Amino acid sequence: MSLPWKLRETFSPEEIQFMVENEPIKIFPRFTTKPSVRGAARGGSAPSAQPRWKLLTANDTPLNNLVAIQTTQVALWIALLLKQQGKCSIVAPEWLRLAQLQKHIDYELKNTERFSDLPWNWLVVAQLLFSKAADDLHDPVHLLRGKVQDLREIRLGKIGQGLKHLNESHLQLDNLSLLEINELRPFVLGVMNKLKQVHGSVSEDQPDE
Amino acid sequence: MSYYDIDDILADASKFPCRFNYDIPGLGYLEGNAGKEIRKNAKVELPLWLARILAIVGGDAGLNDEDALPFVELMQPEMFSPKVLNAIKSGPVTLDVHSINSHFYALAIKWATLFNDRDLIEVLNYMLLERCQEINNHASSVQLENVGRGGSQGTFMLTLDEFEKVLYKDSHESCKDTKKWVIRK
Repeated sequence: MSLPWKLRETFSPEEIQFMVENEPIKIFPRFTTKPSVRGAARGGSAPSAQPRWKLLTANDTPLNNLVAIQTTQVALWIALLLKQQGKCSIVAPEWLRLAQLQKHIDYELKNTERFSDLPWNWLVVAQLLFSKAADDLHDPVHLLRGKVQDLREIRLGKIGQGLKHLNESHLQLDNLSLLEINELRPFVLGVMNKLKQVHGSVSEDQPDE
Repeated sequence: MSYYDIDDILADASKFPCRFNYDIPGLGYLEGNAGKEIRKNAKVELPLWLARILAIVGGDAGLNDEDALPFVELMQPEMFSPKVLNAIKSGPVTLDVHSINSHFYALAIKWATLFNDRDLIEVLNYMLLERCQEINNHASSVQLENVGRGGSQGTFMLTLDEFEKVLYKDSHESCKDTKKWVIRK
């Protein structure tokens, strides 16, 4: 078929990254694009001479009004592009700090029955920022990496426990992130579909033979 | 389980023991002696795609529906005998399903559909849940040096039935891709 079999029923991790890159994030720009009122009044043709951002899929007003060292929100993919050129620094989200991550780890360890409420894209955002914006994080990146890895392993262990309760009708996965769900998807769907077939093969109204 | 599903076609080709309820001329080739008739009470191994139909339609069904005996009677195959079911109940993970029948799940579902067999369904449910834990363990343990060339997985992998192999392959690929993405960063 036109779509490769691997992508037919699920997303690849790169597609998950693509989705996450569409989320907004805060940056400190290191350059100014906001046209100065004085320059425009005096020069007359100055605003039109400067190239402007014209975007179809993202909001371009913040980008045309960047002021150096003033935080603003842009899509993550733009932030990463600017960061690559050294034109901004990325403000790490609240939860990506040692203290916050430790709180999540404590919660995970205390409540063995549920997952802590990390954002749906935590793993992807963490990996992206660690690799592309390591110098912008508040805490040393190797410590953060360790905490994220701890969280991932605790949650993987819980997932393993949860898989013992697979059934043919439903499954509740509160606070499980997109990448974690995506990793599980082929397995859980395969097993649950088979269980459904197994249960569907006997009809309730017919008597036993 | 669709019409064009190769695994379903292969599963349907497995032989099941049947007993004929009629003398039928010309059908001797099912027993191996072509041109002769097939005798009543002859035991023949028929592929499921044939046996399933012959076990439903009968001889004089039009005349008196009540007594209409189907052409053949399906007898319980070895793979669903109490011996095998007890083996499943005692230890689904150590059981060599592949040697019992490589399409065990598919055939068990078809069998349970034909006979409305609740006991078989219960055993199957238990077996699937227990074995899928083990499959998940094997699928998610991706050794980094083996990514790409697929290292040996030990004896459990040799006992998988065809459905379980597909399940293992899919979930293994998924875990592998995720891990690759994480360490590439």
